[in-house]
Amino acid sequence: MTQSPNNRSQAEQALWLIIVGLAAWIIPGAGHYLLRERKRGIIIFIVITALFVTGLYIGSIGTVNWVTGRIWFYAQILYSPAVGMIANVTKHGGYPVYGRPCDIGQIYTGIAGLLNLLCVLSAVYMAYCGRGEIIGQEEEPNA
Amino acid sequence: MPDSFSILASFTAPIEIGTTPASMLWMFPLLAAVSLVYKATKMRVLLTRKYLLESLLLFLSVSGFMIMAIIVLNLLSWLITS
Repeated sequence: MTQSPNNRSQAEQALWLIIVGLAAWIIPGAGHYLLRERKRGIIIFIVITALFVTGLYIGSIGTVNWVTGRIWFYAQILYSPAVGMIANVTKHGGYPVYGRPCDIGQIYTGIAGLLNLLCVLSAVYMAYCGRGEIIGQEEEPNA
Repeated sequence: MPDSFSILASFTAPIEIGTTPASMLWMFPLLAAVSLVYKATKMRVLLTRKYLLESLLLFLSVSGFMIMAIIVLNLLSWLITS
């Protein structure tokens, strides 16, 4: 699955980038995992999921609400399409959400989504470069 | 089974957090998460020790900046209202 980009046609390369991007969005860290960056993928999954779940715990699942918190929802849905299912449950407003816990919960879940966007872009870029030409300017050991 | 229900139920009501200065402490777990994820995407090679050290440095520098910003804003607010 992870063949060199030089061995692929343009269509295959485009399809591979789409698969990596979608995987990274559906399950945080899965994009990096597909690129055999397993450690990176596991760290991303654990940290972003912990952040999102903590946000839900603090503010209740009512913080994800397509109707009353639409702008936040755009950030939250970047965590995973599964957030849409939570929004479907909470759209009728049956879950209490108020005050400072609501603010903190929305910030946590929104930032979790935006961090996952960063990871999606990172995974797609790494796939585009043929896995390992990783973003960053860390110096080589022998440079 | 009842345990799992009680865990799920804890997600249906917000926890108690007052509108107090102490509630600002909730920014630190967020900053830690941002530091960990940012460094995980940025570092060329993920060597555990170096990764943790760089994440810690980023966390401390961002936390320091936030604390400075809080102090400056509080001073401004005190100067305006006094």
